[in-house]
Order: sequence, then C-alpha cells, then structure tokens
Amino acid sequence: MEKTINSKQLKELFSKSTDIVQRPLNVGHSGIIVHLFGVDGLMDTLMLDEAILKPLTVDENLKKMQTEKEVIAYLLEGGSFHAFTNEVTDYHSLLRNILSGMAALVFDQEQKALIFDVRAFDKRSITEPSDEGVMKGAKDSFIEAMRTNTVLIRRRLKSEFLVMEQLNAGKLSKTDITLVYLSNIADMDTVNRIRDTIQNIDLDNISTPAFLEEYLVDNKKSIFPQIMYTQRPDRVSANLSDGRVAVVVDGIPFVYILPCQMVMLMQSPEDYANHFFISSSLRIIRYIAMILTIFLPAFYIAATTYQNQMLPAEIALSIQKAKQNVPFSSASEVLGLLVSFEILIEAGLRLPKTVGTAMSILGGLVVGQSAVEAKLVSPTVVVIVALAGIAGFILPNQDLSSGIRLTRFIMAVLAAIGGFFGMTAGLILLITHLCSLDNYGVAYMSPFVDIDTSNHKDTLFRFPIKYFTKRPKKIAPENRIKQK
Amino acid sequence: MKRIVFFISILILPFLVSGCVNDMNRREIDEINLIRVLGIDYKQDEYTLSALFSVSGGTDPESEGAEEEITTGLGRTPYEAYEDLKRKATKSISLGHTEYFLIGDTAAENGIDRCLDFLSRDETIKMDALFYITKDSMASDFLEEGIENKQKINEDLEAIRQKQEEIVKRNDNTFVNLLNEMKQTDSSILVPYLIPEKSSFLTPGYAVFDQYKLKDYLDEETSAGVNFVKDIVRNYPIYLENQVGLMVTSSDTKLVSTMEKDRIKITIKVDFETMIREVSASDDVFAAKRRDELTKEQNKFVYDRINLAVNYSKATGLDIMQLARMVEKQNIKEWQKLAPSWAKRISDIEYEYSFKSRISKSFLLG
Repeated sequence: MEKTINSKQLKELFSKSTDIVQRPLNVGHSGIIVHLFGVDGLMDTLMLDEAILKPLTVDENLKKMQTEKEVIAYLLEGGSFHAFTNEVTDYHSLLRNILSGMAALVFDQEQKALIFDVRAFDKRSITEPSDEGVMKGAKDSFIEAMRTNTVLIRRRLKSEFLVMEQLNAGKLSKTDITLVYLSNIADMDTVNRIRDTIQNIDLDNISTPAFLEEYLVDNKKSIFPQIMYTQRPDRVSANLSDGRVAVVVDGIPFVYILPCQMVMLMQSPEDYANHFFISSSLRIIRYIAMILTIFLPAFYIAATTYQNQMLPAEIALSIQKAKQNVPFSSASEVLGLLVSFEILIEAGLRLPKTVGTAMSILGGLVVGQSAVEAKLVSPTVVVIVALAGIAGFILPNQDLSSGIRLTRFIMAVLAAIGGFFGMTAGLILLITHLCSLDNYGVAYMSPFVDIDTSNHKDTLFRFPIKYFTKRPKKIAPENRIKQK
Repeated sequence: MKRIVFFISILILPFLVSGCVNDMNRREIDEINLIRVLGIDYKQDEYTLSALFSVSGGTDPESEGAEEEITTGLGRTPYEAYEDLKRKATKSISLGHTEYFLIGDTAAENGIDRCLDFLSRDETIKMDALFYITKDSMASDFLEEGIENKQKINEDLEAIRQKQEEIVKRNDNTFVNLLNEMKQTDSSILVPYLIPEKSSFLTPGYAVFDQYKLKDYLDEETSAGVNFVKDIVRNYPIYLENQVGLMVTSSDTKLVSTMEKDRIKITIKVDFETMIREVSASDDVFAAKRRDELTKEQNKFVYDRINLAVNYSKATGLDIMQLARMVEKQNIKEWQKLAPSWAKRISDIEYEYSFKSRISKSFLLG
C-alpha cells in the first residue's frame, strides 16, 4: 500500500533520530497546524527563520486563512520569502528532500508538503587542484559539494544548451548526481545510456567513487581506466564542448567525464597553457616515460637473462661487473625490487606526511644503498627500477599510472619466462586488449585507431589551437564543427 | 573460453616462430664470458680459435677497467675448435659481443669461407663485426704479443675502427659485407690487414682474396687507389713535391663501362675537393697560375694511386676494384656473354681517366 504524507507517520519514523527537527506550527495563529521537518545541521537556520518561520507566524494574510489548501496556495505564490519552494505529494520524495537537507512543511489534511531549499552545510572552500596544478591557468578545483561544482562548470559555459540533469543513486545513501552535457553537441544516445546506467544502479550506498565508476565503465575487467576524472572545472568545460558528458557526484571532489579515451589520460592541463612546441615535446616525453615504465624492467630481465647480445658490449660488461656476487637471478632482483617499490609507495601513502618523507629517505636511500652494499641487488637494477618507477609517475592520470604499474609486473614476469619473445607476447596481448576496449561506442584507443585523421591534432603532438576545427566524429556526430 | 584460447595462443605463438632451443638460451649475464675478439688460425691441418675475453675487475667493484685474457680451442674445423673453446672456457661463452675477428695469415690462405661458415650460422653474431687479416702472423700470436706488450687489444682495435671511419665513407670489412662479397665470385674479396706497430696496430692496406683464398697484400698506395675507385674515400692526405700538403675533403667517383668490339672500356671519373693543410714554400699558392699547377699535381697524385690499382689488376687478372657488379649492371645483355670469361678479360680492360678537382682555402691562413 502506498504511503501518504502524514506528520504522525514521520514523527514515528524519526522518533529515535535526535538530529531531525520536528516542530508543529500554528499558521498565523489561525488554528491551522502544520509540521516542520528538517535535519539539524544541514539547514541554514537563519534563512529558515527569516524566510519561512517568520512569515508563517506574523503574516496578517495567513490569519485569515481557513484551510490548508489556501495556506499552500498562498505560500507557493510568494507568501514565504524563499525562491526555491516546491510542493510534493509523494511520501518518498518528501523523505529524500528532508534527508538531503531541505525544510518540509507537512500539511496533514491535504496530505501534501511544501519543500524549502534551505540547504547549507559545512563545506571546504575552493582551493587549488592538488593533483592537476598548473603554473599558467585557473587555480580553482572541485570540492565535495555538488552544487558548488555545477556552479563552477556553469560559470565557464554560459550556454543555454548546457543541461544539468538531477539524478539519484544508492538506496540508502540517496547520493545526488548531476548529469551535465551540452544538448546541441553531445550524442544523446551516450547521454541516455549514462542516465540509464545511473538510474539502474541498485546499490544501497555509493560510499566511494569506485562504486560508481564500476557501474559506468563498459569493460570492468580491464585494469586500464575507462573513465576520466578531473579536479579542474576548465577541463570539464573543454570536454563538454567536445561533446562529452560530465557526471558530478555529491561528496566527491572531482567530476567524471565520459566517454574516455586513453589519449585523454595522457593529456595534462598544462598542455594548453604552453606553446604547442613545448606541449608536444612534453607529451612525447610522457609517452616515452610510459613505454619506459612498462618495458624497462622487462627489457633488463630479457637482455640480461636471454638475449644479452641486445646490449652494447660495454654496458653488458658493466652489468656483469655490477652483478658479481649477487646471489639472485636478474628476474628475482627486478621483481623483488618492484615489489619493494610498491611497498614503499603504499607505506608513504598511509603514513602521516611528516613521517612519510623520513620513510622515503629511509626506504629509498638507506635501504637501497645497504641492499647494494650487502650484494642483495646490483646497482644497475636499482637504477632500472627507480627509473621505471619515476617514469610511471610522469603520467598525468593516477588510475592510468596504477594500471601501467600492474602491466609492468606482467611484462617483467613474461620477460622472465621467455625473454624478448615473452615481452613480444605481452606486447601483442597489451595492444590487442587496448584496441578491443570500447567506451560508450568509442574505441578506447581512438583516435590512434581511427581512419579519420582530423582528430589526430591533439594526440601525440599538440597542434596550434587554430587547427582544432572539428570535434571527434564518434563523440559529437551531429555537431562537429568547432571553428571554421 | 574463446578468450582463454586466444590468450594462450598469443602467448605461445612467439615461442613457436622463434626457433628457440630447449631452454631459450636462458643464461644469466654474469654466467657468461663475452668474447671481445676472436682469432682464427690454421696450422698443421688444425684450426685454432683464440678468444679474448674482457674479465671484469674481480670482486672489487671499485677496480677500474677490465683485464683481458685469452683462451684457445683446437679442432679440425673452425666449429670443432669453437666447441673445444667452449669446453675449455671457465664459463659459457658468447659471440654476441664479438666486435672484431682476426683471421691469421695461414687460415686466410686456407680459405676465408671456411672461417666464416660457422659464424654465419650463429644467430647471436653481430652483423657489423669487423674482420681483419693479421699479415704474416698467426692471430693467436698477434693477440698474445699484444697482451705481453700490455696493450688493450679491444681498445686498440676500436681505435683502428675509428681511424678507418675517418678515412673511408664506409667499412667494407663488416661481417655482413663479407658474406655479400663472397656471393659475388667474379670479384676479389678485400679485407684490411693488420700489422703491429710498437704498442698499437696499423692497417696499411687490403689483403686480396681470389676464390676465397688469400693471394696477396696490397701496399698503402694501391689500397688508396682501390678506395678512390670504390668511391669510399672520405679523407686522404696528398703530399706534393713542392712542399704543399693537402687533404681530400670530399670525393666522388663515377665508373662508366662501355663495350667496344667485345672489349670492355671503363671510364673512371674522379671529382674531388682538397683543402690546403701545409705550405712550406713562400710563394702564393692561390695565385691563379700556381693554383692551376697545384690542381694538376694533385690530380696526378690521385691518378698515380688509381693507376697502381689498375696496373695491379691488369697484371694479376684479379678484380680488386670490384668492377664485375658495375659492368653487369651497366651492360645487362652483354654480361651473359662476358660472365664466363670475366676472369680472363680483367687484364684486357681498357681504362680512361677523367679528373676534376678544386682546392679550397683553409681557415685563417687560406
């Protein structure tokens, strides 16, 4: 049986919740009793007093009201001093609104409620992006408050086509989610798919970002990130104007962007702040770093264990010398150090910042140096693993970096099994896997795998902005022209 | 299931096409002795392979450089000697880092093809490894004497390579080039020869092979003439009698072959540029008349060297300038008739010369 709006029922429901404000109000002392409900701490009490409670008690017009119906009509027509007033008749939406921080006036006889958006809760101020900082460019970043985040986007895209659809997910958490897109550019099939996906989430609590991410990506088994996140409003606006869709989630200080291609994860906000020659050079370095971080440890294992003729003679001799008296095989050395490196990273993340620095010095320098001196590892391996590790951190996206780190292990194991043939097998598998990934109808490796070359101008090289004339075909099929 | 099959087949595929041996040649790098120089000798129906290893400085990581030591292997064939060498070596050995091969005088006389055969079947060998003949000496003696003289043989050979690269545009004594030259049986194979010089080595010229067997050694001037004809001269010093020293800074040689009444005529067109390096006389070398004289003299200097090579070729009937391939390319139809009697015709080839040269000023003094 469908529940009706009723203050008694709500009182019973919230009887043990001390943070729920329940208060009967005599409207204009006319004898009409309404009930105010809200969550203490989520509402702006000053606004509540001034805009709602005060008019309800002192407004002369309300004294003449005979029925609840008249009161509702009067308040909706401007009787309350509040812009965002809504009428709800559905019990569940009433609950959702109360629990999300709005004030509700419940009218028992009419079985209706008026909702006032007086949400105001403690939130941190807008700060510089911690992970995507730039020297030259905007310094604002998203915070945990969804509405603040949507405002940051709206400020950058003052287009009438900018749509912000309100959605909800999580049966218990009832997490607010805003789907943002430009209706004249974005592919509506993609928008509909993302909306359907979010609406069909049957999870009770969206407690961490990963919960939502796993629902939104197509190929859940892949270790490569298929959803992009950013802390930067300018980056979101740039992607929206390319035809992509943004998902703003309440409580998460970044915004998701879909569909996501690998090339996006290799781009840095700084790329568009620098001269295109400099940006292109930095991008090339990033790609080289990615190749290094994946293949360098594997190459070392393959070259020192199987095909040593691949090394120049002088380097081979130098490695031989460095490896003398080390009891472990090259593969064990590399894999052992890679694991140690991961342990150091994990330890660094968990420890307080002040201890973390000391830990890095202790782990990286002291233990590393001692291990070399104790002939547990050769100095060459320390250099190889350190170089591969540092190269991995050059990647702008942390999720991609994590995926690449795991790939590095797989490559190292394959190299230990079959040398360069093992590496080749791994490379074939990696390329096959990456090329098989599809993200909302767009190839993950696009535009590298596209025949259409018009979108290659912002990939390995960053062309001058005047060459960015078209949007990606698969992402914005209907409205491709960016500039003439 | 489909994916698992795909995954496994991709993993297996590279191993199937690699032609790998049982353990995929798995060997830790510190368990291998890297042969830096390999000497091949032949004496009393037996081949001797002398491998020069760089032994890294013991257990002390602070020790500088690497010691060199020699291990030898004996056998009726070079391969048998190599297997013997493997047995005698303290660790596994690898030819993957061998950059220099020295072929002893007698082994070269017995046939360079026999020396190269087992090497060409080794998948690890460097294709750009260089080959030298040790003139009038066994390669093993050459190496041992070098060590006795406290030479760093590998470094000295590296110096030879660098010097070669300074005077010629390309090194034709690489392994891959020798294999190619061996296929062209109409021409002689040329391999630079080494002679010891106090505490280093010199490569004065080429050893000439006929049908894979060592025939002769060319002197320095004749070898230079060959280089000019082969168009590989990068730098070459010219010392004129009137106390002027010049350096060839660029050279371009074109060969044109024509058939006239069953006679082969080859026109050698040399176009080169020199720079004055030394003037001991007091006259102005850039005065028009003097410059013309010097140009003629330097043309004659180069002509003399080429003529030495031509005369040697005519006298011995050996195609030391490797003209066969050029004649074949320029006279495809006629070559079919010429090919069987090419060796006999080498002495009858008619040569014509054309020289064009310029002298340029050098830096401050001009």
